Amino acid sequence: MLKQGPAKKICIYVGEDQQYHGQALYAAVLDYLFYRGVSGASVIRGIAGFGADHKMHTARILRLTENLPVKIEFVETPEKLDEILPKLHDLVGTGLIEVQDTTILKPSQASEGDKPDGLLPATKRAAKAKLMRIYIGENDKWHDKPLYQALVESLRANDIAGVTVYQGILGYGANRRIHQQKTMTLSHDRPIMLSIVDTEEKLRAFTPILDDMITQGLVVLSDVDIVKYTHTVGQPKNESKETK
Amino acid sequence: MKLERKAKLLRIHFGESDVWHGKPLYRAIVEKCKELDIAGATVFRGIEGYGASTLIRRAHLLSFSSDAPVMVSVVDSEEKIQQLLPFLDEMLRDGLIATSDVEVVKYVHQEGARS
Repeated sequence: MLKQGPAKKICIYVGEDQQYHGQALYAAVLDYLFYRGVSGASVIRGIAGFGADHKMHTARILRLTENLPVKIEFVETPEKLDEILPKLHDLVGTGLIEVQDTTILKPSQASEGDKPDGLLPATKRAAKAKLMRIYIGENDKWHDKPLYQALVESLRANDIAGVTVYQGILGYGANRRIHQQKTMTLSHDRPIMLSIVDTEEKLRAFTPILDDMITQGLVVLSDVDIVKYTHTVGQPKNESKETK
Repeated sequence: MKLERKAKLLRIHFGESDVWHGKPLYRAIVEKCKELDIAGATVFRGIEGYGASTLIRRAHLLSFSSDAPVMVSVVDSEEKIQQLLPFLDEMLRDGLIATSDVEVVKYVHQEGARS
């Protein structure tokens, strides 16, 4: 968030047609600024101009494809600028980057409506846990119900933190039969993987249930580090500061 | 087919349209795994992603030519995985190979006895 006082204003000049890894260069720069938390940036399209190559770029009537000049403008603190400048150099390539001292008279404010009511900023929690992967077939059944669905219900009933079911497109497993998705057919036997993350104790406690349900497949466990972002709803702000 | 308790999980990431000797690379990899008698391999298709080439890969709706990200996941003993790696080295032009340690909790099939 910008504060009133001295800051830097950066202008980057590129061509509208310049590309960066299959994407418009100005869009790549804008994305970079956005995801690095720059407080704001604008892209302005010129109507005519020339640059280092001394070629005139104009928007003439009935010319739809012209490499028009594009200017990306943003205001940031000097510290933030130092942090992002090396990458900008890489991105911009042949374009021009200019920095000038400026003074912020009135910082802009994010509108109140942007944040959902009662939500505090996401808190980050890091911990050790286990990741369990279960490999089965889409046609596997348990009590006349798809096995993957039964597993999800069973995991949920056993208070396991979360599970995601993935559908593979090709594979083989314990029975050496290739499972493959056939285009335009309704009967599939695609490979299915369930990915489950929870504490070791909870997953170990769940394994006996798996033994009853899975008659063919593979279950593996691995160590993972959890980096979790959670929203705490409706807590007073001063309380969350104390817990830090 | 038997799997020890300690095993390796190998993941190979590349694009769906990657080709090896005229056939899809993911199929070529699964066939190679089978040939080497590796316990199992599964191919997953992602819906969006980017990787080594930093080009965003995306599965296009309603089009048959898509370059969705693809991941092949293989579980077997470290020794078996090491056998597979030189072949992957040769086959994979643009992508990522990663291994991690896993513990096999269960590996069963109907015909065989439980290990």
